[in-house]
Amino acid sequence: MEFFLILVATGLVTGATYAMVAMGFAMIYKATGVVNFAQGELMMLTAYVAYSLAGSLHLSFFPLMALTIPLAMLIGLTLERLFIRPMLGEPVFAIVMVTIGLAVILRGATVLIWGTNEDLFDAGFSNDVVSIGPVPFYEVQLYTLAMLAVLVALAWGFFRYTRVGIAMRATANHQTAALLMGISTKRIYALAWALSSAIASVAGVLIASMFTIKPDLWFQGLRSFPAVILGGLDSVLGAAVGGLTIGVIENLSEGYIGQGLKEIAGFVVIVLVLMVRPYGLFGSKTIERV
Amino acid sequence: MRSGHFKERYQQLVAVSDNRAAWGWSGLLVVALLLLPLVAGTYPTQLATRVLVLAIGAVGLNLLTGTAGLISIGQAGFMAVGGYTNAILLTEAGWPVEVTLPLSGLAAAVISLVVGIPSLRLKGLYLAITTLAFAFIINHMILYADDITQGNRGIFLPKSTFLGVGLTKGPGLYYLCLALTVVMVLLALNILRSRVGRAWMALRDHDIAAKVMGVNLTVYKLYAFMVSSFYVGLSGALLSLEVRFINVDVYGLLLSIEALAMIILGGLGSVRGALLGAAFLTLLPESIRLVFDAFGSGAQQLFSNYVFQIRELLYGVVIVLVLRFEPGGLNGIWRNTKKYWSNWPLSYG
Repeated sequence: MEFFLILVATGLVTGATYAMVAMGFAMIYKATGVVNFAQGELMMLTAYVAYSLAGSLHLSFFPLMALTIPLAMLIGLTLERLFIRPMLGEPVFAIVMVTIGLAVILRGATVLIWGTNEDLFDAGFSNDVVSIGPVPFYEVQLYTLAMLAVLVALAWGFFRYTRVGIAMRATANHQTAALLMGISTKRIYALAWALSSAIASVAGVLIASMFTIKPDLWFQGLRSFPAVILGGLDSVLGAAVGGLTIGVIENLSEGYIGQGLKEIAGFVVIVLVLMVRPYGLFGSKTIERV
Repeated sequence: MRSGHFKERYQQLVAVSDNRAAWGWSGLLVVALLLLPLVAGTYPTQLATRVLVLAIGAVGLNLLTGTAGLISIGQAGFMAVGGYTNAILLTEAGWPVEVTLPLSGLAAAVISLVVGIPSLRLKGLYLAITTLAFAFIINHMILYADDITQGNRGIFLPKSTFLGVGLTKGPGLYYLCLALTVVMVLLALNILRSRVGRAWMALRDHDIAAKVMGVNLTVYKLYAFMVSSFYVGLSGALLSLEVRFINVDVYGLLLSIEALAMIILGGLGSVRGALLGAAFLTLLPESIRLVFDAFGSGAQQLFSNYVFQIRELLYGVVIVLVLRFEPGGLNGIWRNTKKYWSNWPLSYG
């Protein structure tokens, strides 16, 4: 039983990181209909920016994030302006390919700037172990779970109550109608990138301080795909649920079935889920009219 | 006076090429490629071999993604299936290359059904991600099936011959790849002008309309997966012959991205585009190296330290720029230039 609880708990922590990355994916997809293949790279880039800040200023977590998030939003806005905005009106496939190109560029640029060395990321977390019941947690792991809860609450409130959030939902729902209602879809797109980048920076800092910071951090983005798909590409809150589920499933399959299964359990799950529900668990089904 | 190139009969529309000059120039290109190892040194021949190997894969991917509109990021997975089938049959079973090459393609084609059948209901990005998942799963299975695939240790390929020609030293492998490329390109061109090719285009352009017109979506989607994977598997097998030592890293995810970049850069849905894209992207790092060499030793040092990053960066930049400014890719540029000159001086637009 204790083994099971530990597996579930660490699974939830891993899942929370997937969930954050997945929320970033879903944020952009919801507003613009584009899967941003550069999400992992965006996370890596913002984490490296935070790493440079932390290295020179020695801040603890919250002040660090207070500095990093605006910078991350700025990066998101810039990337949107440079790479995505000029593609407005092109087929979705072309824009998705641009994000793949962007991913490759960001990966190369990050290594050119920060080098290939692996380093510890000190975001001011202590190494003490806190026990909750039989399960020991590191401080950073608890922060991760808490931050996910905060992000989910913020996202929920944002889409439910704020004017901009509702405008974003409107754009996702029907772009032309949104335009007719006086919503600037260009601004909504830019905002989606900024917010997604902000979420990515939170995820990046937490993941990097849980492990180390190194140039293959972007891979976490690909690892989070099952979470986005499970939740349905256009559901930000579904992405969070999907992330937690995938994290737990991965850990349980590693613990009970076989070594190394962790790496692919999530992908096997989504292949199975998509066979039954081609739009993910929480995704909206599109009705095609001819 | 000639004011354009008009196709007046149906035969002209479905012909591989109704242009004599095109046949002549293509023949000349093949002759030039045949002479290449005699004129150029070992290194250019190796590069050309790599171009041909990847070109076969790119042509295959273009049938699936460009022509049938099914986006695949699983290229690396299918190549791995081909490469490993080839390597295992050569080392464990000791079969000759003449047999293992087609079998590698077939193995990839059969495995593609495993992806194809669950993907029948999926569209667009969901499909892309399923193929990505497949590449991950294949990668893991190779590591997992340690007894057959040697897992992390990888497989050394033995010395082999094709119809008595040694593939290890000299231009043997180059000629084999060249011959296979010519055969596979002709095959692709002929598939494209048959019912199958037209059905693929129909289901890319509008699947519901295609269905109404009597195209069986299930069958033609699976055809697309199988034919494309045959090409890709063959390309993976040739890659294993070229590098002579394979492990999962040889078939890393980057191959999928590169293959997609090749067909986008070359021009989606066109065989010529896939060939141009493969040649361009494979030779790009070389040309960049030459440019850096021209800037002296400091630039050379920088380049050798960060060769992969600079290469990646330029890959990305090239993809983005092409999508932004020339959505038709290299093939589009080719076509526009051709149209301009063949209609000169009355060309317009």
